[in-house]
Amino acid sequence: MNLQQWLAERTFHHSNFWDIKWLVEQKERQGVTISLCLPTLNEEKTIGKEIVILKAELMDRYPLIDEIAVIDSGSTDRTCEIACAFGADVYVASEVLPELGVQRGKGENLWKALYLLKGDILVFVDADIGNIHPRFVYGLVGPLLQIPEVHYVKAFYDRPIVYSNVLRPTGGGRVTEILIRPLFSLFYPELTAILQPLSGEYAGRRSILEKIPFPVGYGVETAMLIDIHQKLGLTAFAQTDLDQRVHRNQETTALGRMAFGILQTVMNRLEREQKLRLLQELPTIMRQFEASDGTYRQLEFDIREVERPPMIEIEAYRAKFYSASVS
Amino acid sequence: MPQNTVSVPAVKEIPELLAPLRERLLADLITLTQIPAPSGDEGKRVRFLLDRFIEAGLSDAGTDQIGNAIGRLRGRRHNRTILLAAHLDSVFPATENHQVTVDSEKVVGPGAGDNAMGAAGLSLLPAVLEHLGLELESDLILLGSVRSLGRGNHAGIRFFLDNCGQRIDCGICVEGMQLGRLNAFSIGTARADIICTIRPNNGSSRLYASESPLVVLNHVVQQILGIPLPTQPYTKIKLGRMHAGRYYDIEPERAELGLEIVSHSDDMVRQLCGQIADLVAESGARYAVDIQFDPFFTTAAAGIPFSHPLVKCVADVMNQLGIEADQTHYPSELCELLMRKIPAVTIGITRGVKNHPRDPDHVLIEPMLKGVAQLVGILLAIDEGRADESPAVAR
Repeated sequence: MNLQQWLAERTFHHSNFWDIKWLVEQKERQGVTISLCLPTLNEEKTIGKEIVILKAELMDRYPLIDEIAVIDSGSTDRTCEIACAFGADVYVASEVLPELGVQRGKGENLWKALYLLKGDILVFVDADIGNIHPRFVYGLVGPLLQIPEVHYVKAFYDRPIVYSNVLRPTGGGRVTEILIRPLFSLFYPELTAILQPLSGEYAGRRSILEKIPFPVGYGVETAMLIDIHQKLGLTAFAQTDLDQRVHRNQETTALGRMAFGILQTVMNRLEREQKLRLLQELPTIMRQFEASDGTYRQLEFDIREVERPPMIEIEAYRAKFYSASVS
Repeated sequence: MPQNTVSVPAVKEIPELLAPLRERLLADLITLTQIPAPSGDEGKRVRFLLDRFIEAGLSDAGTDQIGNAIGRLRGRRHNRTILLAAHLDSVFPATENHQVTVDSEKVVGPGAGDNAMGAAGLSLLPAVLEHLGLELESDLILLGSVRSLGRGNHAGIRFFLDNCGQRIDCGICVEGMQLGRLNAFSIGTARADIICTIRPNNGSSRLYASESPLVVLNHVVQQILGIPLPTQPYTKIKLGRMHAGRYYDIEPERAELGLEIVSHSDDMVRQLCGQIADLVAESGARYAVDIQFDPFFTTAAAGIPFSHPLVKCVADVMNQLGIEADQTHYPSELCELLMRKIPAVTIGITRGVKNHPRDPDHVLIEPMLKGVAQLVGILLAIDEGRADESPAVAR
C-alpha cells in the first residue's frame, strides 16, 4: 500500500462510525474487549466531564467500552477524587509494578496501562480536552473493529486554543510542523501521512502495543509510530478526523523542552536502525534563557527520555496475561 | 392503575434505584449546557432532545411549526394526557464560552440550572421509566419549548398549547432549580424596554430644546417612581436594567431602561402599562427626543388553589422524599398552562446558583436523582388519579 493509497483508504472521519450500536455488535462478534485509559497529572478541571460523558455514552448507554481507568502521575489537585466519584478505576502509576522502579511521565502511565487494563484494544485519551465527546473514543475504535489489518489508529483534528474566553480558529501542532514533520520527511517518509503524529488520542491492539518499548516522557507518541511502523508497516495504521479539539495552550518554552525529549527518542531509533551514527553520547541538558531587568539567565533542564522495555518482556505481565503458557 | 413490568417502587426508594443512570443524566446536562441556545436559536438542543426521544423508542418524536421538540410516550389506556415541559433556551449569547466543568459536587456552566438541567430531566425521562419498568396508563407529552425567555415571550409553549389539537389534562413545568419549588400560581407580569434616542435633525446637532437621552430617561425614572401603587392587590414596578453612554465627555445618543411590572391583578398591570406609555410619550414631546415604550413580554395572573389535588399530591411526593416545598412564586412557563385552565405546577430538579455576580452558574449533583425521582413520583400519582379534580374544586 503506497502513501496515497493509504491516505485514501485509511483516513476516516469520526462520522464514519456514528452508529455505535453497530460498533458494539462488531465488538461482540469479534469477542474483543476494549479499555479506555486516561493518563492524568493535575486535570481536575476537565477529568470529571470526560469521565461522565464517556462512561454515560460508551458504557452505560452503549456497552462499547468495558472499563475506564485513570492512571495518575501524582496529581496534587482533586483529579483522583473526582475521577473516582464518577466511577473510573483510579491508579497511581508509582504504585504499579513498584519493583521495576518509578519513572514519571505520560509514557510511564501508558506503559503501565498495558499491565493494569484488561482490554484487547486500548484507547488512550488525554484528560485535558475541553470539548470532550464520545467521538474521541468511537472514532478511534471504529477502524480497529472494521479492518482486521489495522492495529493502531491515530487522531487528528483542528485544534483551537483557548485564550481567555475566546476561541481562536486555528493553532496548535507547532512541534509537529517544526520538528516531527521535517524529521519524518528525512528518515521515515511514509509516516508523514500521519497528519498529527503528536495527538494525544490513539487506540491500538494489545498484541502490538505489548511488543514495543515506551519512552516514559515526551517521546512516547513518536516512538509508537516509528516502532509500530518498523514492525508492521504503514498498512497497520489508520487515522481519524475528530474535528475540533479544545485544549490548553502551552508556552513555546515548554514546547521546546518537549521537542528536546522527542529528538532524543528519534535519535535513539535512528541509531538503532543504523540510519544515523552518533560519534558521542548526546547530552541530556536542555538550555533555555529568561530575561529580567536587562539581565539574562540561563535555565537548565535535565530531560532524559528513559525507555521502558516492551511490556511482553516483563515477567509479571506475562504471568498476568499469559499464565497458561507460563505454567 | 399502571401495569408495570415490576412492582411500582415506593417513592422514597426511587432515588437509589436511579443511581445507575446518574452519569447519563449528567452527560445530558453537560451536553445541553454546552450547546448555545439563545432564544430563537435552540435548533441544536431541539435536535439533541429529539435524538434522545428517538433512541428511547418514542413512537412520535418531532418538531412543530415553531420548532418545539415534542415526544409522545403512549400510555396503556390513554385515559389522560400529561404534559411535561422544559424550556430549551438560555439567556446566554452564542459567543459566550459554554464549556462546562465538573467536580465531584457540581456542574458549572452558563445556564446549567436555567434550563439545561430541566431539559436533561426531560431527555432522560423515557429511559428512567424504562429502567424502573414503569408503563403508565396516561399518555405523556414531553415538550422542549423554544423562544421562552425575554422577547421570546413563551412563544414556543403558547404555540404548542394553541395548536396541539388535543386536551391536556395536567401539566408539569420542569425547571433545573430550585429543588423544592412548587409553584401553582402565576403573577400578572409585563416586561418592557424604554428606549430613548436623539431625534434626527437633518445632519445638524440636536433639535431646539432637545435633551440628552440619559437625562430624559432619568426624568422618566423619577416619574415612574412617583406613580402611586396600591397595597392591595400586590403590585410592584421593578427597574431592572439601565444602559447609556460610553464616555465621560460625550452625551450618549441612546439610553435604555428595562423594567418589570408585577401584580396579582392583570387590570393593574394593564393600567400601569398605560400610565407609563403616556408619561414616556409626554417626555418625548417635552424634551424633543425619540422615545418608545415597548412592553414585549406579558403574562396573566392565574393559579390553582393550594387545596387542589395536584398541589396536594406533589407536596405529598416531596414530603416522602424529604424535600421541603417552597410554594412562593417564581416566574416560569406555568402561567401559559394556568391561563388555559390546565391544572399545572412548576417543579425544580436540583439546587444551584444562577446570575450571581461572583459565583458562576452551577447546579449541585447530589440532589439531582431526588429531583428526577420526584418527577417520577408525581407522574405515578397523577397516573393513579390522585391529581384529578373532584367536581367541587373549581379550576
